[in-house]
Order: sequence, then C-alpha cells, then structure tokens
Amino acid sequence: MAFRSLSKSEKAYIQASLQAKSPLRGDGRAPHEFRTVVLETGAVALANGSARVNIGRAADESTGGTEVLAAAKLEVEDIGAGKDGVDGGRIACTVSCSPAAYPHLANAALDDLQHDYTAIVHDVLAHASLRPPGLGIVPGRKAWLLTLDLMVLSDAGGVYDALFVAARAALWDTRVPKTRAVEYRPGRGSRGEGDMDVDAETQSGLDTRQLTDVAADFELEDYWDEGPVLGGRDMWPVSITLNLFPGVHFLDATSQEEAATPLRLLLVYSFAAKSAPALQGMHLLGTGDIDLTRIKSLVKDGEKYALEMYTALNTKLKDEDIRRTNKAQQKFSASR
Amino acid sequence: RIDILNEGGFRSDGRRQYELRAMSFDSAPQAGADGSARVSHGLTEVLVSVFGPREARTRAQTLHDRAVLHVEASIAPFSTGDRRRRGRGDKRVQELAATLKATFEPVVQTALYPRAQIDVVVHVLQQDGGVLPAAVNATTLALANAGVPLADFVCAVAGGVHAAAPLLDLTALEEADLPHATLACMPRSGRLTLVSMETRLHVDRFEEIVRLAGEAGAVIHAEMRAAVRERTKGLLDAMGAGLRPARAAVDDDAVVEDE
Repeated sequence: MAFRSLSKSEKAYIQASLQAKSPLRGDGRAPHEFRTVVLETGAVALANGSARVNIGRAADESTGGTEVLAAAKLEVEDIGAGKDGVDGGRIACTVSCSPAAYPHLANAALDDLQHDYTAIVHDVLAHASLRPPGLGIVPGRKAWLLTLDLMVLSDAGGVYDALFVAARAALWDTRVPKTRAVEYRPGRGSRGEGDMDVDAETQSGLDTRQLTDVAADFELEDYWDEGPVLGGRDMWPVSITLNLFPGVHFLDATSQEEAATPLRLLLVYSFAAKSAPALQGMHLLGTGDIDLTRIKSLVKDGEKYALEMYTALNTKLKDEDIRRTNKAQQKFSASR
Repeated sequence: RIDILNEGGFRSDGRRQYELRAMSFDSAPQAGADGSARVSHGLTEVLVSVFGPREARTRAQTLHDRAVLHVEASIAPFSTGDRRRRGRGDKRVQELAATLKATFEPVVQTALYPRAQIDVVVHVLQQDGGVLPAAVNATTLALANAGVPLADFVCAVAGGVHAAAPLLDLTALEEADLPHATLACMPRSGRLTLVSMETRLHVDRFEEIVRLAGEAGAVIHAEMRAAVRERTKGLLDAMGAGLRPARAAVDDDAVVEDE
C-alpha cells in the first residue's frame, strides 16, 4: 500500500528515529539493509526473456511487497531512411502501472506516473553505451528491436530498485534466436541453350522498376530453438535509491518511510566485466535541496551498495539458470 | 495444415470435442487487494484483484442506495505471441471491462453497500483464446475471496461449432476459424448472465451450445468451489493457530508464596 499522506507527527517520528544515535526503523532493519528480494526468471512463457521480482514479501504470507513483472520481446525492424531501425539493434522500455498498485490514483495521475517511470528506465537502458552485441540480423537492412515491458503489480516502496532489478533479470534471461542471412541473386546475362534460340531479354527503357541486385533477407536457423543468450550480461545496470535526511541516508524505504523522506537520490551503476564501474544514471527526486560535497560522498557510498546488490543478484541469477536447466532435464528424463 | 477436428475426434491440441483445457484456480493474495485470483484456462492466464466495498474516490460517482461496481481491464503487451501494446483507452480493453461490469451487476449484492465502490482490476497476462471466460471466472473467484456477497458463482465457457460438431473451450487457433459464443451462467439457478457472440452462428446450433455451456458451467463450478473451500480452510487454520497458546498459558501460572 502506498502511503502518500502521512501526518506531520508520523513524519517527525520516522525522521527522528533514523537520525538518532542508534538508528531505528519500523521493521527493525539497519539503515543500509534491504528487505527480502524474491526473484524468478522465466515468469512469462511467451516472452524471449522475463523475470518477476518481489521486494519485501513477508516470509509467512505470500502477499505484500513491491512486485514488478518484466518481459523482453524481440521484433524485427527495417533499417533505412524513414524507418526506426538502428544498425546493430536497439532497446526500448515501457513501464505500466497497474491500478491495483495505486488504488488511490485516478487514471490521469496513473498515466503520469507511468510516464515518469518509463522516462527514467528508458533513458538508462536504451542508451548507446549499453547496446548489447548480437542484436543485428542483416547489416544495414534488418535488426532486432528488443522491447522491455515492465509492469508494476504492487508498490510498497522502492519501486525504482525493483524496476531495475527486474529489467536486469529479464535481460539476463533473454535469448536471441539464431538467424542466417539469405541473399537472392536474380539470373542475368545470356542463356546459351543449344536447342532453342532464345533471344536475350532486353531491358526496356520504359521499365522503371528498380531491380535490386541482392534482396537481403534472413531466415531462422531453427524454428524451435530459443537461441543463445543475449550478450553483455554483465553490463546491465542495477540501481540504488538513497533516501536522504539531513546528515543520514538509508536504503530500501517502505512506503511510509518514502512518504516521510523529502529527498531521494537514485543512482544507476553498471559493472561491466572488463572496465571500471560506470554511473549510467543519476536522479534527484522529491522536494528539498542538497549541497555538492554531500552528493560526492553519496555517489561513492552508492557505488559500494550497488556493487553488493550486483554480486548478490548475479549469484541468484546463476542459481536460476541452473534451476531451470536442471528442471528441464529432470522433466525430460522423467518423461522418457 | 492443422485440422480443427480430425477423424479420430481429436482437436489440434489433442483434446476431445467437449473436453475443457486444464484449469488452475490460484487464490494467492495479491498485495493490497482485498481479494485476488489468478485463473488459467490452458495457456490463457488472467489475474484479477478486487478492492472494496470501500468509500468511493469521488462522491459524485456514488449511488445513494447501492454500491458502484467499477471494472478496469488491462492486457499486457507480452500476452500474445506478437507484442501489441494496448493502452487504457483501447476499444477492446474497454469492451472487456464493460462486458465484465454488465455480467456482475446483477450478481453482486450491491444493495448492501450504499454509497460504496467495489473496484475490480483485471490483468490479462497470457492469451490463447478464451480471454473473456477466463476473466469472468477469475472475477468470480476474486470477489468470493474478497468477501463480497454474491448471489451465486458465475461460470463462463466459450463454445463453437465446426462442421455441425459443437466444441467447448476454444483456443486462439479455433477462435479465429470457428463461429463461437461465450456464455456465463449461475450454476445453482441455471440463469445466464452473459451471452456474447461476435461471429455468425446458425440458430439451430445455438441451442446445443447453450445446453453444453450449462453442463460445462456445472463442472467449472465444482472446481471453483473446491478452490474457495481450500482457501477458507487455510484461513480457518490460521485463525485457529492464534487461539492455541492461550490455553497452555493457564497451566504455567507461577504461584508466588510468602516465605
């Protein structure tokens, strides 16, 4: 449940307990501690890659927490003047918010919120620096468009973190079908046939059709094979939201804590294997102001937290890969 | 070429003529909702969350003598094989929401909650034909889980005709080729609350389809009752678990004696 309005005393209570010498939070967590993250890849059977993330689900119930469903689908698009395609492929992201997640918002406000989330996620993930290899099909003519659809099913605080974790998991899970470029060359020149005298076809000057020499197309090598995993698995970013009070910051706010925090700093980091950590996005959200020296120290701290999140997420994603391959193997051997 | 119904009496996915797809009814609670249900008919999956009865968001939209039923539908862009994004204002989406509202208006006992609002949020997560029947079944289950009083369960199924042979519970492939109708009935009274058809069906075949849909509705009704009973049993167990320690504490009272 998203608490958009808290009373002044509630806000003061949350702020005072976090600024105390030994900070206290409502659920007993430390300021830099995350809630339980539940992650499952392959949640959507029809998509090329998908994931479902739930942050903050209570252990004994199967309810609560921020839940995001992400699905990546691949489409073919043409490259050329007037067409949207880009040589080497491109990524587009959309975020949609379920009315069930924000029951107090009217449709117009929900659309605005969707647009805000979409803008932030798309600007980070569609950037040229994060373009993965292997999204091209026929150079200069056809390429893949990877559309990542994220659905916010419930919101209990920390939506941005959940969105980026789900996006990373879905992109990790994406498989690109293998294609083979096919060329068609029309027959040309004289056909020397012994028996019959066939006149060679003459090109009429009135013929205005553009006969291209090579019709470039592609075919799927194997219709049933999902294909190899999308490259660049290590570079998909993770985000960290630092909730700021004067003098103190904390991670993974519940919706009440979010309503009590005037300022949040969203940092998106990418830890590609062979290069230094890169800051892919930075947003200051909310009302309130902050000075530059504090931002510098927060960016350093954010990188530390993001690296921990990244390592933990990688372990889980590798576990998921193993679980699904093993499951498939067991199913196959059980049916034989 | 794929046969809709071959000589052996099997359909394209291996089912028989009157066989329904494998259905699952999952009442796992969804965050924040008063009641929710996830129903799958074969590969079609629909998730419904119900909020309410609760105070209406805008006073002007309330009715003085009963509750307002407000249905919102959304179809996920990744629900079909080809990605297709449908916004909230899309005609098909609004038609789905309006059909569900019309189906449940006479069923939900709205007269018990004047000036209240009951919100039903429908998510179509996967589509393989039979989206409307799945949405109706999921809404029934979600309303039951939310504790909203209903006159009866509403069980829906789609029926079609292929070369004078009626078929039940059509997949997307069959829906594209065959004339079909979606019917929702209340099993105890046998009354229909939804009859929806967008193709042309011969009037002689229609009677047969209605009869078959009633029988299929009874089968689905049994399954849905089992699902609701299971959920209620889980809740009762959870409630009973809180009472047990109280009895044990009585024996453990320490007796303080003056020494």
